[in-house]
Amino acid sequence: MKKYLVFILILLLLGSFVFAQGSGEAKKDKDVTILHLWMGIPAENGPQDVVDAFNREFKDKGIRVEYERYVNDDQGNLKLETNLLSGSEVDVYASYGGLTRVAKRAEAKMALDLTPYLQQDNLVPEDIFGETAIALSRVDGVLYSLPTTLTKTSFLINKTMFDEAGIPVPETWTYDEFRAIAKRLTKGEGLDKVYGMFWNSTQNFYEMQARLSSRTLGGDWMYDPNGRETQLNHPVLVKTLELINNTMNVDGSAPSHVDTVTQKLTMENMFLSGRAAIVVDNFIIRSVKDLEQYPHDFVTAFVPQPVVYEGGDIYTWAQYGDQLSINPKSKNRDAAWEFLKWYATNGVQYMAIGGRIGLANTLDKDSVVGRFFKGVDEIIDIESAKRHFIYNVGDNLTSTTIFTKAPEIQKVMNEECEAIMTGRKTPLQGLSDAKTRADEFLK
Amino acid sequence: MVFSKQLRKDLTGYAFILPNMLGVLLFFILPIIFSLVISFTDWDFTWGIGNWNWVRLENYFQIWKDQWFVRSFINTVVLSIASVTFIILFAIVFATIIDAQCYGSIAIRLAMFMPKISNIVAVSIIWVMMYSPWGPVTQLLKTLGITNPPKFLGSYTWALPAIIFMMIWSGIGYAVMIYSAALQGLPAEVYEAAKIDGAGPIRCFFTLTIHFLSPTTFFLIVTTLISMFQLFAPIQLMTKGGPGSSTSVMVYYIYTSAFSFYKMGYASAMSWILFLLLFLVTLFQWNYQKRWVNY
Repeated sequence: MKKYLVFILILLLLGSFVFAQGSGEAKKDKDVTILHLWMGIPAENGPQDVVDAFNREFKDKGIRVEYERYVNDDQGNLKLETNLLSGSEVDVYASYGGLTRVAKRAEAKMALDLTPYLQQDNLVPEDIFGETAIALSRVDGVLYSLPTTLTKTSFLINKTMFDEAGIPVPETWTYDEFRAIAKRLTKGEGLDKVYGMFWNSTQNFYEMQARLSSRTLGGDWMYDPNGRETQLNHPVLVKTLELINNTMNVDGSAPSHVDTVTQKLTMENMFLSGRAAIVVDNFIIRSVKDLEQYPHDFVTAFVPQPVVYEGGDIYTWAQYGDQLSINPKSKNRDAAWEFLKWYATNGVQYMAIGGRIGLANTLDKDSVVGRFFKGVDEIIDIESAKRHFIYNVGDNLTSTTIFTKAPEIQKVMNEECEAIMTGRKTPLQGLSDAKTRADEFLK
Repeated sequence: MVFSKQLRKDLTGYAFILPNMLGVLLFFILPIIFSLVISFTDWDFTWGIGNWNWVRLENYFQIWKDQWFVRSFINTVVLSIASVTFIILFAIVFATIIDAQCYGSIAIRLAMFMPKISNIVAVSIIWVMMYSPWGPVTQLLKTLGITNPPKFLGSYTWALPAIIFMMIWSGIGYAVMIYSAALQGLPAEVYEAAKIDGAGPIRCFFTLTIHFLSPTTFFLIVTTLISMFQLFAPIQLMTKGGPGSSTSVMVYYIYTSAFSFYKMGYASAMSWILFLLLFLVTLFQWNYQKRWVNY
């Protein structure tokens, strides 16, 4: 009896093994090349549509794309880089936050030189993506990635609150005008207080400074034009911090830095619950469109950030981003190029649903606009969104091009700004100290 | 080939622990050696393995000129010494009281032990809420008549004490548990003799209990101090080292250097400094124990 049992068990084991092998074999289609695409965006905010569209279109050519999301933070980027270094599982990937990461990855041989492919297909990238975007994407003259999106920064405002207070939606406004408006929009006390402005200072001070100071100083506002030192004590930067400090600590028209940190206030919970009329950045547009998670019925509009004074050059800080590269260790580099080309010139339109705006001039702008406003045209002000977010016309776009020791300088900036916002230093004092400390890194 | 009986026995033994040893070797011993090697280089993670310059001991000297490191070092020492002192003091008193005269002592011990088995992430988030301006700690202080209570995690002066307080709260249960176990084994006859000689409970506590518990105290000081030196999660979750660098601790700064600045060589050098520090402190305690620990 026992012997039979053992025999049957062995048979079952062997059988299951054979079957497992068989089914594995059946699933694998010999002629299909599978590409692994790594990006930092949740699949439902666009990438899934991209993958579906590509797989439909390239079914006959035998290429399939599978999506892998990594979180775009320190750990997430480390995970991506470890996978790139070990050589497997990544064919095409996106880098975020300007060129810093692309440059480092190119240096570490984690990104393929795209020039041969561009030549082979007779593509002139400048014609498709614009000269600035391509110039900013080159590392030592070589193109290791293609820029796919353009993100123009702006404030987001609760237009309904502006209308109720009888304040016209501003087009250009100075720091003083902005401060007065923020004050007018502030009402109530305690937990129910509605603030005119929310600066999102938990995130980091560097970002706030960047948004405002680059309006006047351009994308490289942090560095002295000669590039050998910082200019963190520049009068514009001082004025900017004075403005932030005044709204937080003098007028009370913005939550103070301490309140922001200790209560873990976020742009989402301040703006989308109607507790702040203006927020410092438009990257939460993804959440503004997500009515399921953040139900609200007010209208959101895009407005440019205020400037120190009127006149002179006024820039709009923009980031050419979502830089797509090919892993040099990929076994399917040709297929990866097929995908990259398709994505940059066409597929990126599907990302508009998550609020990412494609850069290439080959894109169907109506499709982008259509996707962007799908189901949310009643809660987003269409005209201001087109002007300040989607269309790339009539703006004096500027971008950051110098990144020397940027993480270290940003840490210094955050610490000194924190000291200013908690009243330990005056803006001028704090920024002068920041300059002294940051310059140490550039020596 | 003929193996001697002993060798064959040894080899079988090693074969059994081989899977485990491989893990230890790959994920423990090798990284340790690797970190020591790169601590003598200026390696930036993104340069790829092998692309580094040898800088000898430069990292080890540079560290002391780095004010972020010095600040983190001081904070670590303050945090460790303060929390260990209070944990030991409170734990020994609580354990004695619970042991001597307390109804439901098991329930109390269990309740105190809860933070130890709770997830540190959850604990940290709860404490952020506790310390927030609308949280219970601040509200309690207001009810007690303090009109302008500190902003705890947002304050340069109070952020570190707030974290120390939380660490004392979360560490005390474990220490009480260990002390309670030790108290069960104390010789009753000595206490009886003391009582006959006229010693009251307080006298007994100071001359007998503390004396008998000294090996436990020694064990707790060594282990708690080591774990406090390695504190990371609450800092990352609650303050990110801020405001300024008032709550930055060594492990947090090592993490920042390695994964924000990508300076792997520099970060490894700091890790080795941390190791040496812990090693020296433990060695010192080990030698010094002869003076006050009684077995």
